[in-house]
This record gives sequence, C-alpha cells and structure tokens, in this order.
Amino acid sequence: MPTDPKVNGVQQRTGAPVVNASTIGEVIVVTSGDGSLRLFQPDRDPLVFNIHESVILSMARESRYLLTGGEDGRFLRVSLKGEVEEIASFGSKWVDCVASDGEHFACSSGRVAYVWSPDRSQPVPLEHQSTVGGLAFNAGRNQLAVAHYGGVTIWTRRGIKWTKSVLTYKGFHASVTFSPNGKFVVSTMQENAVHGWRLSDNADFSMSPYPAKIKSIAWAGNTPYLVTSGASEAVCWPFKGKDGPMGKGPICVAGRKQIVSCVQGFPDVNGVLAGFHDGTVVLSQIKPESDAVVLRNATGVEVTAIAVTETGSHILIGDAEGEILWFKMQ
Amino acid sequence: MSTQVPVTVLTGFLGAGKTTLLNRILTEQHGRRYAVIVNEFGEEGIDNDLVVDVDEEVFEMNNGCICCTVRGDLIRILSGLMKRADKLDAIIVETTGLADPAPVAQTFFVDQEVADRTKLDAIVTIVDAVHLELQLDEHHEAEEQIAFADVVLLNKTDLVDPSILNRVEARIKKINPYTKIQRTTSCDLPLDEILGLDAFSLDRITEFEPDFLESDHDHEHDDDITSISLASETALDYDKFEEWFSTLLRTRGQNILRSKGILDFQGMNKRYVFQGVHMLMDGAPMGDWPEGGQRTSKIVFIGRDLESMRLQEGFDACKVA
Repeated sequence: MPTDPKVNGVQQRTGAPVVNASTIGEVIVVTSGDGSLRLFQPDRDPLVFNIHESVILSMARESRYLLTGGEDGRFLRVSLKGEVEEIASFGSKWVDCVASDGEHFACSSGRVAYVWSPDRSQPVPLEHQSTVGGLAFNAGRNQLAVAHYGGVTIWTRRGIKWTKSVLTYKGFHASVTFSPNGKFVVSTMQENAVHGWRLSDNADFSMSPYPAKIKSIAWAGNTPYLVTSGASEAVCWPFKGKDGPMGKGPICVAGRKQIVSCVQGFPDVNGVLAGFHDGTVVLSQIKPESDAVVLRNATGVEVTAIAVTETGSHILIGDAEGEILWFKMQ
Repeated sequence: MSTQVPVTVLTGFLGAGKTTLLNRILTEQHGRRYAVIVNEFGEEGIDNDLVVDVDEEVFEMNNGCICCTVRGDLIRILSGLMKRADKLDAIIVETTGLADPAPVAQTFFVDQEVADRTKLDAIVTIVDAVHLELQLDEHHEAEEQIAFADVVLLNKTDLVDPSILNRVEARIKKINPYTKIQRTTSCDLPLDEILGLDAFSLDRITEFEPDFLESDHDHEHDDDITSISLASETALDYDKFEEWFSTLLRTRGQNILRSKGILDFQGMNKRYVFQGVHMLMDGAPMGDWPEGGQRTSKIVFIGRDLESMRLQEGFDACKVA
C-alpha cells in the first residue's frame, strides 16, 4: 500500500490556498483562493477553469455538477466540462455556504439561506438571527440544516412551505452535517467542540474537548464514524444504533505530534485519511491500535483538502500554499 | 505564509471622521494593498473593490469565560481574506460608533487561526474635538473607546479654541495616560502614524514608559474609567504573581479593560512581558534585562472601580520576601 507519490504523482501549484475538494466518480474537483476550479481524473491531463473573481469559499456536489459560492458574491453551477451557469449574484456580499441533496439546492449569504426546489424557479429565503455558518440537506427527507450562532435550525419542507425547529446550544456553530441514516445532525463549533442532536427527541451531546478548532469532518466506514480534525489524531465517533456516540468514546487513530487539519474517509476499507498541520498525510483503518501508513511526508505546509476517487484508485492532497498533489494508490 | 497580516481597528463616534480617514486609505497612492472591513450600517456607503461589508456580530463564547465575547463576523471574514491570492499589507476594521472595542480585541486572543494568520496592530480611536466632552458625559462607550486606544486622533481641532482643546486632551489623558494623542483637522496625518504601529506586540510593550503620576481622584463617579500604574524594584515571585493575577482577571476582569506589564521574576533572566484585554492575557519571556542595570517591574491597569481591587496590596504581596 505505501507509495511514493513523487514518483508517479502530478504536482500543480495554484496561486492561492487550496480551499475545497469534491469527488464525482473518478473525477476530483479542487477549488482555491484564486477563483479557479481544477479537475483531475485518471489518465488525463488536469483541467483548469477560472470561474470566480476571487476566493471560492464553498463547494458542493449536485449529481454530475458542482455548486460553488465565492467572495465575488456569485453562486454558480459548473459542469465537468467547465460550463458555468450563474444561479444568483449577491453583489458585494459573499456567498459563504452551498449545499444540494440532488433535488433541492441552497446557498447562504449573510444571515439568509436561499433554497431552490425543483418545482419553483425562485428561491425561498430563510432568515436567521445571525450569519449562517453551514448548510446541509438530509437527503430524501426534505430537510435543510442551517448552523448559526446559538445552535442549528432544521427547516422541513411541507408542501411549498419550509417550517423550522431550532436546536439550541450556546456558542457559534459552523459547519453542519447529517449522519448518513439521517437520524442525527452534528455541527462543529468555534469552541473546539463538535455538538450533536438526535432528531427523534432532540437529545443532544457534546463531543469535546479538542485542543484546536475543528476545521474538517467526514463520514467514514460502515458503522459509520464521524471523523474529525482538531486533535493530534483523527478522532472517530461511532454513530451506530439509536444512541449514536452518546455514552461511548471515540476511536482515535493516526496519532502524531501534530494537529490534524483535514480528514477524509477512504472508500470500502473502513479507512480514514488524515492530513496534518505539517503537511503529512496518513491512511489508517478505524480500529484501535491500527498502524497508520504515511502516504506523504511532512512538507511544512498545512493540509487543507483531501479527496479520494470513488474506487479509491487516486488521491488528491491540497495545502495552504496552493500545492496540489494527485497520485495513484498502489 | 507564516507572516501575520497586521489589523488596525478604527473606532469612534458617528461623525468623528472615520469615513474621511477610510476614504483617504482607499484613494491615496500609497502603493500598498489594504482590505477595509466596514459595517454595512455605517454612516455612508463606501463603494470600492477593497471594501468588505460586514454585519457586526458579537458572540458570547461558550468557554466558561463570562465576559468573553468575540466578533464572529471577523473570524469569518479574516479567514476568507487569508485565502486570497493577493497578499495584503494590512487590514483595517471599522466599527460602528457605539461599539465596545473589547470583542474585536478579544477575537485575536481567542481564535487560533485568526491569531496565526493576522495580528492586532493597534486600536485607533477618532474623536471629534467639538463634541467629545458631551459624548463622554452621555455615553460610556466613548470612554471605553478612549480607554482601549493605542492612538487617539483628536480631530476637527480647527473648530475649537486652544483652551478647550487642552481641556479635551487632558480629559483623554485622564482616562488613558498611555495613549498617543494626534491632533488633526480632517484626519490629515501620514498613514504610517496609524497603520503598522505594532502596538499590540509584546515586543513593543517593552518600550512603554508610563507616567508614574498618581491619578487625580477628585469628582469621580463610580463608573469612571481610570488607570493605575504600579512598580517594584524588588523581584517578584512567579507562582505568587500567577495566582494573584489569574484570580484578579477571573474575578474582576470585567472591569479591567486593558492591562500591560513588564515583570522581573526571580530566577528569570529575561523580562516577562504581557498584555491583556479584560479576562484574556498573553505573556511571554522576552529580551534580556540590561546587564547590571536596575530591574524594575512595571504594570498598568485601565478600567473601572480599580480602587476596590487593592491592586497595590496584591502586587506588593508578589514581591520576593
């Protein structure tokens, strides 16, 4: 399994920090602070499309398309051929977050989340008490979670109306995600913690404390596990059964003397990729005492994005100085 | 990438001249790359590519620190600006007229990413020489903005008599004897007197020479902001100081707006330098004491109700017996 990516990998340097990476089948899409979107796929040269004027703040997959939001105030849909459709423009206001469940799609700018439904051409504005930190759809359930200061609002679509219920917990909530079975919602917080709620009864649980702010989370394995950055190991919380991680501890893997800055699940093998503040990237199984394999040695630059193709054949690593490394797993 | 971009915070009441200064920063040929973060409900819209509109959002942290508030919007915007392809020379943050400067300053102590990529350079408060006295009588925010300031721009000096100007300046000095006062008529001073001052760096504190004048205690209301400076030529005991100071900040930090100090701890060859905003403080050993010279520990507090904190007594008890 270990590989020396420098031998068979492709390296590219963008003009600005790598912000985000997404997977569509065997294609990996990566965005950076210079407004560019790059496509990497096996046996082809990488493609570069300049789509935003400045930083691409957010990206989400929408079946075979990508949704992006930028500091230029534009909310875009981009095809894998680089065709760009402007869905909305907010002028001097940033588009901070975007999301899609394949049916609905949404973006946020300031305190308002805008949600588009298949049967309506105009978006429905959903207002919040403070700036939106994160958006996530609960696929197949007509639900949108919006993280903000003081908690997470769950919007549910009934007919043409969106009705809300607010899950409160003191502090600022940034990114938000539903568990794959749709029964839990989890947010990362400004306060070095992850907070979760069980939607059936709103029972909540804190996953803390971490030594650093959690900048990256991912679902991995069949259990499944919520894998989080923010500690010197990848912290994996089990979401099995009706209680999820309540009353259980996490499994911690891939420990090093550095803080994990980015995590990503590895398909099929119950594995996790952890990128560190010093640029190291390791792969580990999610089980106690498992040995991690170093995929890339330290570079001195923080890992900001990791993505894996759907078959696990190729990996992409992006960092805070705009270096991209794309390589084949062996 | 590891260099931190300096951030200047601009405070001041409506009409004091913040917009005049911002327009100068945006239009003058200074050859530098700035980003200016303005409040979207500010006095007048500034339309410029370098401007980012924000909605000031003060968040209470859920970290057990009761007065710990931060500017949530700044965490988001600064983190976004740091991802840009163009490296910025400086960032200027304008606050609304009645804003309390503490949450802005505390943001730089609380958020690690903000602290890694940017640094609080200085708090610059613009005051209107004509209206300041009235504003000080009516709004405690005016007093707080002066108490926090590293530089006070005493603006519109052409509109008042010299005698009034001296009185206004004395009043500023009484609230904050450690601030630098710059007299201007329409914010017309070189930008390097406001930007890139490094006033919040611990290095810089080693240069400060507070006036050791006793403050004048006459006619003061309980909520007046005053300052106290303490000094000792006897070395201090680190453990005793740590216990006294952390208890002090934890229990009385709400009333201590700013604290700064250079301390001589027994057994330490370097000067211990710190600075704090309310309950948060940042300190480190920094630079050797001059060879053979007198080592004097100095500490200053700016805040409310300082008398009741028995600061002299607490400080004296930290001296090595």
